[in-house]
Amino acid sequence: MKKGSPLKSLTDKQVGFMLVIPGLAVFIGIILYPFVNSVIMSFTNRSLLQPNYGWVGFENYAKVFKDPYFLQTLGTTFLFVLLATAIPFALGLIWAIVLNQGFKGAEFLRGITLVNWIIPGTAIGFLWSWIFNGQYGILNGILKGLGLLETGIPFLGQTGTALLCVVVARTWQMLPWYMAFLLGGLQGVSLDQIEAARIDGAGNWRVFTHVVVPSMKTIMTLVFVLGLVGNLQHFDLPWTMAQGGPARATTTLSIEVYTTAFKNWNMGKAATIGTIWAVLLACFSFIYLRQVNEAD
Amino acid sequence: MFQKTAGFRVFFWISLVCIGGFIFLPLLWMVNTALKPQAETFTMGFFNTVSLENIKSIVTNGTIMTYLKNSLIVSFASSFMATLVCTLAAYSFSKFRYTGRKLIMGAFMMSQAFPQAILLLSIYVLMQKTGLLGSYGALLISYVVFTLPVGTWTLKSYFDQLPDALIESAKIDGAGNLRIMGQIILPMAIPGMISVAIYGFVWSWNDLLYSMTLVTDSAKRTLASGLVMTYLGEASTNWGAMMAASIVSAIPVTIIFVFLQRYFIQGLTAGAVKG
Repeated sequence: MKKGSPLKSLTDKQVGFMLVIPGLAVFIGIILYPFVNSVIMSFTNRSLLQPNYGWVGFENYAKVFKDPYFLQTLGTTFLFVLLATAIPFALGLIWAIVLNQGFKGAEFLRGITLVNWIIPGTAIGFLWSWIFNGQYGILNGILKGLGLLETGIPFLGQTGTALLCVVVARTWQMLPWYMAFLLGGLQGVSLDQIEAARIDGAGNWRVFTHVVVPSMKTIMTLVFVLGLVGNLQHFDLPWTMAQGGPARATTTLSIEVYTTAFKNWNMGKAATIGTIWAVLLACFSFIYLRQVNEAD
Repeated sequence: MFQKTAGFRVFFWISLVCIGGFIFLPLLWMVNTALKPQAETFTMGFFNTVSLENIKSIVTNGTIMTYLKNSLIVSFASSFMATLVCTLAAYSFSKFRYTGRKLIMGAFMMSQAFPQAILLLSIYVLMQKTGLLGSYGALLISYVVFTLPVGTWTLKSYFDQLPDALIESAKIDGAGNLRIMGQIILPMAIPGMISVAIYGFVWSWNDLLYSMTLVTDSAKRTLASGLVMTYLGEASTNWGAMMAASIVSAIPVTIIFVFLQRYFIQGLTAGAVKG
């Protein structure tokens, strides 16, 4: 080994630091610098169409906060994040409890459940667009077959249902992820404690609320916060299923930043929305970090 | 854990049927649509006539196969790079003590929390300046970032389990840092490295936002963004072909998952739970 001799003359501290240099370089180049640069960009009128740009101070912020669409985007994002975290979390927990019963085939079911989570968001978006299709979709087919409908409903084409469709697709995608964590948590619950509770006369529900939930508190909070952060970032499904439409009904923050920057070429405004978003995300991350530190 | 009372049985069976149906029926419907003859796409038939017409139309489609090839190149390369970077960093965090270590660890962990879309704005400008825009390079480097926090923590928890005495005794035997790392530490962390590699691969394979933005040359598009470009906004949508294309895009990650499931779940849970 050629590098052996110069490395040997280094102290352990120096070696340790050298090992972290590639990661640090990636962090600085692809996260820290772009982030700072984007925040700076939010105070300019930069556009991808013109090479020249200048400072505009808080003009972008004033515009964004005055924009009635921005409030709508925030509302849509909150609704999406809340529903798309709470629903798969609840279903994932139930599914984990079912699979934890250890019946024949539970292992197998757990395995194929995870396939939903592994496959590309694009494929999932296509699949659910097809299911919700207004003319030929299977959902409309079933509803018509049951005599509940005369003509098909364009679920993704109307403002009232489009976001819900995306939430359903997101639930389908993420349920396995919640299940995997929560199943791990369930398996860590002390059976002795459950036994003790049973001796005290606790039924299933009491065991669940007084033993299972308290001992899974850390992992539940972690998974929930991670889920919130993930959904706040989520882009694939609202884009593949509805491109943020109809009438902005599925335009979440990530869709809005993308379209502002790369469809309307207004980098300054996109950076402003992004910066506001980052502040929101920082709040969630703070909770997450505190949980992680407690768990350590 | 729960007693099989009548109430629990009802809960169990309703959940099993409803959630099970919700999870598996859509997948079946996807396969069913893809395997129908194109003339029957809009019928409700359930595996009436099986035809490979749609699958063939995708596999013989040169553009889509180029996307597939691009996805494979980008995902393998970025997964390899990410694993390397994460392994070095994790080993350093676990077994070395130096000033700034805590700060850098915190920074790595935080990187998960930066909104990708806001980073993308400046990454786009940066790649444009450096001329990397439109090449695989831009994507490769960006994808390493996705794996950095989870990957580093997964591997750190592996290294943490290795006793320091192992390293100490090797040092007494006169082994240098490089030898200790290459011959003692790394072989023991291989399962962790595999799970990080899979994680990185799946991330890059599934990413849509970055590949849609950073790859401007359509010959270099990856599968996710390529399919979106191909099928979104088409006036008359060919659902049979779309489902077949979706299946083709899902196959590589599914195969990896089926064979390496053990590592996968390990990495998934270890990485995120330990931070």
